[in-house]
Amino acid sequence: MKQHPLCTDTEREPDVMRFAVSAEVKQEWAALQTRRHFLGRTGKVLGWAAMASLLGDHALRGDAPQQNAKGRSDAQAAEPLKLPYFAPKAKRAIYLFMSGGPPQIDLLDYKPNLAALYDKDIPDSVRGGQQLTGMTAGQARFPIAPSHWAFKRYGETGTWVSDLLPNTAKIVDDLTIIKSTNTEAINHEPAIMLMNTGNMNPGKPCLGAWLAYGLGSMNDNLPTFMVLQSKLNMKEDNQPVSSRLWSSGFLSSEYAGVGLRSQGDPVLYISDPNGVSHEVRRKMLDAVNAINQQTFEELGDPETHARIAQYEMAYRMQTSVPELADLSKEPKSTWDLYGPDAKEPGTFAYNCLMARRMAERGVRFTQVYKRGWDVHGNVTGTLPILCQETDRACYALVTDLKQRGLLDDTLVIWAGEFGRTVYSQGGLTPENYGRDHHPRCFTTWMTGGGVRTGITFGETDEYSYNVIKDPVTVRDFNATILHCLGIDHNKLTYKFQGLDQKLTGPTPASVVQGLLA
Amino acid sequence: MTNRGGLAELADRVRPKSKSTQWIWIAALTLSAALVLLPWVVKLDGKPHADWEQFLGRFHPLAVHLPIGLLVLLPLLEIVGRFRPALREAASFVLGFSFASCLFALVLGVLLAFGSGDAGTGVTLHESGGIVLTIGVLLCLLARPWWSSGNVPYVYPALLTCTLLALVWTAHQGGSLTHGSNYLTQYMPASLKRWTTFGTTPPATSFYAKRINPILDANCAGCHGTGKVQGGLRLDSYESLMKGGQDGPAIVAGKPEESLLLVRVTLPPSHKQFMPAEGKPPLKAEQIAWIKAWIEQGASPTAVSLAGISIHEDRPELPLQPVGDYSSLTPEIRRMAQGQGAKLMPVSKKPEDGLILYTVDASASFNDSQLAQFQKFAPYIVEAELGRTAVTDASFDTLKQFTHLRALHLEETQVTGDGISKLAPLSQLTYLNLSGTKVTAAAVVSLSSMKNLRQIYLYNTPAQPAPASEPRNPLAANAP
Repeated sequence: MKQHPLCTDTEREPDVMRFAVSAEVKQEWAALQTRRHFLGRTGKVLGWAAMASLLGDHALRGDAPQQNAKGRSDAQAAEPLKLPYFAPKAKRAIYLFMSGGPPQIDLLDYKPNLAALYDKDIPDSVRGGQQLTGMTAGQARFPIAPSHWAFKRYGETGTWVSDLLPNTAKIVDDLTIIKSTNTEAINHEPAIMLMNTGNMNPGKPCLGAWLAYGLGSMNDNLPTFMVLQSKLNMKEDNQPVSSRLWSSGFLSSEYAGVGLRSQGDPVLYISDPNGVSHEVRRKMLDAVNAINQQTFEELGDPETHARIAQYEMAYRMQTSVPELADLSKEPKSTWDLYGPDAKEPGTFAYNCLMARRMAERGVRFTQVYKRGWDVHGNVTGTLPILCQETDRACYALVTDLKQRGLLDDTLVIWAGEFGRTVYSQGGLTPENYGRDHHPRCFTTWMTGGGVRTGITFGETDEYSYNVIKDPVTVRDFNATILHCLGIDHNKLTYKFQGLDQKLTGPTPASVVQGLLA
Repeated sequence: MTNRGGLAELADRVRPKSKSTQWIWIAALTLSAALVLLPWVVKLDGKPHADWEQFLGRFHPLAVHLPIGLLVLLPLLEIVGRFRPALREAASFVLGFSFASCLFALVLGVLLAFGSGDAGTGVTLHESGGIVLTIGVLLCLLARPWWSSGNVPYVYPALLTCTLLALVWTAHQGGSLTHGSNYLTQYMPASLKRWTTFGTTPPATSFYAKRINPILDANCAGCHGTGKVQGGLRLDSYESLMKGGQDGPAIVAGKPEESLLLVRVTLPPSHKQFMPAEGKPPLKAEQIAWIKAWIEQGASPTAVSLAGISIHEDRPELPLQPVGDYSSLTPEIRRMAQGQGAKLMPVSKKPEDGLILYTVDASASFNDSQLAQFQKFAPYIVEAELGRTAVTDASFDTLKQFTHLRALHLEETQVTGDGISKLAPLSQLTYLNLSGTKVTAAAVVSLSSMKNLRQIYLYNTPAQPAPASEPRNPLAANAP
């Protein structure tokens, strides 16, 4: 959870000063002050000297670039991007992220021939030299575990869908199901980083941050990029998700995702505390901004501006977020569609409804996390719970966007970190089995603005182990998402560490034309 | 020289001076005739031939740049040669070399087209251009000696000019073949495009192009197309569809029962010959009905509509009309954003894609009079997001001037639909969102004259069509 910018030490400083302070402490404080001043000044002198040698002596005369009303220098105001490169089909995106790796074989990648191969070992020829995780590498055998659930054909497209997803089945004709997504990462942290930021190592900006940076905001009163985490149920074995996944990396921190809390106020300190009026807060904010601006003029760190911008955003969110989170005016049809779960803040269904409301209010990118898909064991016990929590909500979100006319320019993405193995992790019984991580193929889907709907893209072999047609790498996946939003993934770059960094990284990536409308 | 008639004088001047020049002329004319007959001798039949032909042919793009460069150099040599005669002497050699390289490039070009099975008007036009050009260079080569001796003043310069024009035209044809015909005009400024009427392709109008080809493209061309040609059958163009494959004709006009394409897609799915093969979804009943009716009624490539066929959503995608350049208004656009929270933002980096009017930051306070302030930007606004604002039916008076409007959001506003028919002149409007308003079915029906309106959203309105699961295109349901 990103801390609300209004909740910082600056707010509490006056309290400290109100204590009765002894003479010794005061003296020590003064000594500290002078030492700080000395060190601070020394630093500044050195800084001036360095700057003067770099910029010539005009830097010393103080005729630095003029500041405009917002307190940004003109050089910054004329930022290069903030635009789609070409007319986009989608203006915004909602990314439903299933953390942990949903088992494609049990959900959407139907493999009828596996039933006959129950408990037989998966052929070495299929597995090839596949690297396995530490969790199954020591297994003596790799018995095939066919899906416990039956599949049926749905929609005009006759797409096979598992009994686990009765609601998703109703919208298959609206989906683009990608069976050939594949990743290079086999463990959670690298895999989830790769899906979210395009790189296995932390420190890179995530997809949402790139979009915020590249496209800018449509609504000045809400963050461009918002993150919603869904509640856990007690039965899940949950891998954590960290704020690294929605960080802005080396981009200015105003592009980082802003989370909404699932309990109490959606944002901390969003309401005025007792005895503090809105005007007082505004005055305080103006004072803090003035001090920050002064700091910027002294040090020139652009992050100071990011901080000012975040304070201002927080102030504006005081009015916009309560309106956003007020579901009381939703018609009955909304609750009929999303189901009773949606009334409880923090559930995946509630978050999907919030995502729709954010789309209506011009939030550029909303990412909804659902944890718990790491089904190493007890698949038959865990999967029905996960699907019950998510299936109806996904269906409701897509249907709701569609009926309100929002699906035409909203891209909805459903994806996990990787897939899961066809062979059982641990013992295989007719009642239960486990599935380990599987990077070589996994199923994702998209719908809405920019993508061709009613198609299944890519194919896997009979074991759902290797991609045999139209592979889509994570880089291609991300390039395609950017394309739908009007961005050439090769052009959205930011110079850092001597490289023109981009979401898709230095390895060539391509927009998957077959997925586009 | 005596003062005789012009023609006789010319004849006198160009009369062959010796036997050898006579032979040169005969050889040149024979060669020209041979070149003219080339397209009939080496017929481009659209079938690939020997690999070695393709191998050599692929050097054609490499070779053509030689004559292009040399011929462009020629006028320069001739003009500058007035002052530096040495250059003029070189012109003769350059011209001779141009001719040789033209011949060489022409041969390679024919090999390329013949070997790789290229055919079609683009290729034949390019080929004819190459032949005309080569003959032109040859004539220049023969005419130049008279001109340089001062006997015939204008024939050579005129010939050279024509040849250079032929060069430009032929090179353009060749470029269109490799880069696509809109390569040059794709990024032309919008205003220039409209002025020259370049770069706008007519929308597909025939039943084949609109209905049949997309079915074949989506379901069949994967195996019967440029990539794979299973059973010798290609289905990616009308010509190849009518040609059929190894098993016989795919389409027999007027006779659906003899048309193998239709037979194969209507077999029981378990049948060995059922198409599409490999477990792909079978064609929809509706698609089969279209194909059948199309064959029955003559399988024409140009027929626009068929008797007895009704098609839902029969509204072709409208090619986007570029809006004018609003760059000069940029300061004013910025000022508007600072004033009231509503702002105009460009659709993309290209100004001709237009502007979007966003009101989300002004939302509840944005009303009809504020909308009216955006009137002066009307021709540049392609999308108006007025959802959740305070606009009312009075806004239609302003909106009807947004002549390039493609999408209009009025959801959750006070609009009742009274006067909505004022939007009728907005010929480019394809999307209208009225969800959550008080708009009535009667008001919506008044929009049925708007042929390009593809989506009307009426969720949560009195006008919502009975099955809530079908929000798209309610006009189809309402219209008689």
